[in-house]
Amino acid sequence: MADIALESIEDVEFPDDIHETSTGISNSKLAMWVYLASDCMLFGGLISTYLLYKNRPGSIPGLAGSPVKASELFNIPFTSMTSFILLMSSLTMVLAVNSIMAGDTKRMRLWLTSTCVLGGLFLAGQVYEFTEFVNEGLGFTSNVSASAFYTLTGFHGAHVAVGIIVLLSAVGFSFRKRLDAEAVEVLGLYWHFVDIVWVVIFAIVYLIP
Amino acid sequence: MSTTVEELDDDSPVHPGEHHDHGPGNRTYFTIFWILVAITALEVSTYFWSSWFGDGSHYPAVALLVVMMIVKFILIASFFMHLRFDSKLLGRIFYFGLAVAVIIYVVALATMNIFTDNGNPWFNDPPPVVTTTTVAGTGG
Repeated sequence: MADIALESIEDVEFPDDIHETSTGISNSKLAMWVYLASDCMLFGGLISTYLLYKNRPGSIPGLAGSPVKASELFNIPFTSMTSFILLMSSLTMVLAVNSIMAGDTKRMRLWLTSTCVLGGLFLAGQVYEFTEFVNEGLGFTSNVSASAFYTLTGFHGAHVAVGIIVLLSAVGFSFRKRLDAEAVEVLGLYWHFVDIVWVVIFAIVYLIP
Repeated sequence: MSTTVEELDDDSPVHPGEHHDHGPGNRTYFTIFWILVAITALEVSTYFWSSWFGDGSHYPAVALLVVMMIVKFILIASFFMHLRFDSKLLGRIFYFGLAVAVIIYVVALATMNIFTDNGNPWFNDPPPVVTTTTVAGTGG
């Protein structure tokens, strides 16, 4: 049927999961993937900066800066636990997406709320970790290494916080109007990306000496 | 007249061949999750390898950590983010952005000698030591 007239395109019946765009992909999903691809550059830059400075606190003996490195203060068992929590939130997120695709809004709300709670626990863990570091004398401006560490993990934490706000908004919105399954899927993409970034940070920053 | 998507060819605005269903069921997601948990546990164990097996385990641990990180990354992107089941275009966009980021930053780090770190605590040469000298007044 290569000779379909242009005007007959309007009569095409598109299944629910195929969109009337030039790519066949919904614009919102495509936009999210393009954003995530560009976010790789952001986190790549932050991770590279940390790698560059992690063993170079930049302190000048007798003049300024703390010789303490963030890596000397890591509590690996604790961070492993928060990593597990974030991994679990990815599971609850994907279950929320499956629920809304099955038309089960109640269960979707439950899984989305669970995702928010787990994300909140992760953030609480990060706040606890930062507080411990500050108590040990490593503040944001203590040295270059500390600044790079706080900027990297802080940016990731900010992404998690934004994700929680958006997911809670989606839960609230679902009480007023039925949520589009694809909107939840797009939110899920963002959340999983946050998890993926933590997978990289956890391995490169925390576990590789 | 009504035409279904299946009747459109590859030049049409939609490409049915590139779109698949939205992914596996909950059981598959739980399986992937437990695989990820197992890999994470193995990752964490490498942190203690040097105390268990000595300093010789450092480089194998780093290599294994990088491999496990990549495996976890691919599992999450493929299954949880549905790249395996969605349009190939989305995967190309994401992995292209990722590849560009990795290449740029590996090259940048290489130019800054990060892979041949000599232990210099400063990134560049240490700043000159500031000395204060008193200049005697010449005025009469």
